Amino acid sequence: MAEIIGGIGTSHVPSIGVALDRGLTETPDWKPFFDGYEAAKEWMREAKPDVAVVIFNDHGNSFFLDRVPTFAVGVAETYKPVDEGWGRRDIPDFEGAVDFSWHFVDKLVERHFDPLVCREIDVDHGLQVPMELMFGRPEKWPVKIVPIWVNTVQYPIPTPQRCWEMGQVLREAIESWPGDERVVILGTGGLSHQLQGTRAGFINREADLAWLDGIANDPETYRNMTREDYVEQFGSEGAELIMWLVMRAAMNPHVNLLHKHYYAPASMTGAGMVLLENAA
Amino acid sequence: MADQQDNIPETPLFDRARSLKGYKLNKMANALGDPANREAFRADEDAFLDRFGLSAEEKAAVKARDWHEMVRLGGNLFFILKISAVDPVPITQIGAAQAGMPHEQFLSERLGKKVNHG
Repeated sequence: MAEIIGGIGTSHVPSIGVALDRGLTETPDWKPFFDGYEAAKEWMREAKPDVAVVIFNDHGNSFFLDRVPTFAVGVAETYKPVDEGWGRRDIPDFEGAVDFSWHFVDKLVERHFDPLVCREIDVDHGLQVPMELMFGRPEKWPVKIVPIWVNTVQYPIPTPQRCWEMGQVLREAIESWPGDERVVILGTGGLSHQLQGTRAGFINREADLAWLDGIANDPETYRNMTREDYVEQFGSEGAELIMWLVMRAAMNPHVNLLHKHYYAPASMTGAGMVLLENAA
Repeated sequence: MADQQDNIPETPLFDRARSLKGYKLNKMANALGDPANREAFRADEDAFLDRFGLSAEEKAAVKARDWHEMVRLGGNLFFILKISAVDPVPITQIGAAQAGMPHEQFLSERLGKKVNHG
């Protein structure tokens, strides 16, 4: 069976990509943010995963409002970075873990999920930025990817509990896969931010810091919260954090929190990461 | 967001009502992901907006880059943000416009940034 070697929760703020594109990583605004990812990058170099499962939301780039899948899974051979309006970014295409993706889709449907299955689709900063934060800017990505899109833009968005259940199926799919791939899971989005309405600019540092520990050691609390609780605590776009639950549910009940990092604001967002390994 | 009661104050969720209301506006903005459309928008904004059947109210909001009004009309930030790719404005300024405060005040009060005048 394939092996889950680690779980990562991380922000995917688009301006992180812009900072990388413009060489701003050493500026006072950005240096503390990027420095905090070094330990996780180092871990990744040592751990040498073969596959990265990336859970993220599209931001009106690969899907428009004409069709909004609650969950979608990529089964493509290649995923190109999408032009979000500023031109296509100069980063390598992503190679898909096609066979495992199909196996995951099989498992999902067996377990009564009904995902949209995507054979040809581009990926936006929601996937690009976490990959860059974890793997830097290689000429070729060292892992194949399995993209999972979760709708967090148009209501109704899925419940935290449903994200959790998807993570359980993800674990089952990895454990039942005959290959010996080393799999890392990236739950992305958040942390607290709000882009719309007069509460725009809302950042909740206290809730963010509690989340970084809680997602490791007390996920029950977050799984039992309502979507409205998420919006209230983390802001309308901060509700993206529900996607970390997919990652967390795929891990053991007990995990070791190897690294965590928090920095605010990155652009208009509380930003950060955790790196988890399964404990016995 | 005057037209609709929100459960969480000052926090418009992009639900059925807003998605329907803002559909044309968001569709126009979404089209700016295509370089040819960005060119067309730059060349003749009025004609571009007409192509998507925007109302006079919507057109006025877009042309004024009135971010607060665009959201009130059902615009979703992820789509209307693409207007700022054609006509650059920092996202924090878009945030400030929605919060209804000057940019620097927004940076310090909402985001907790130290504003550097140098």
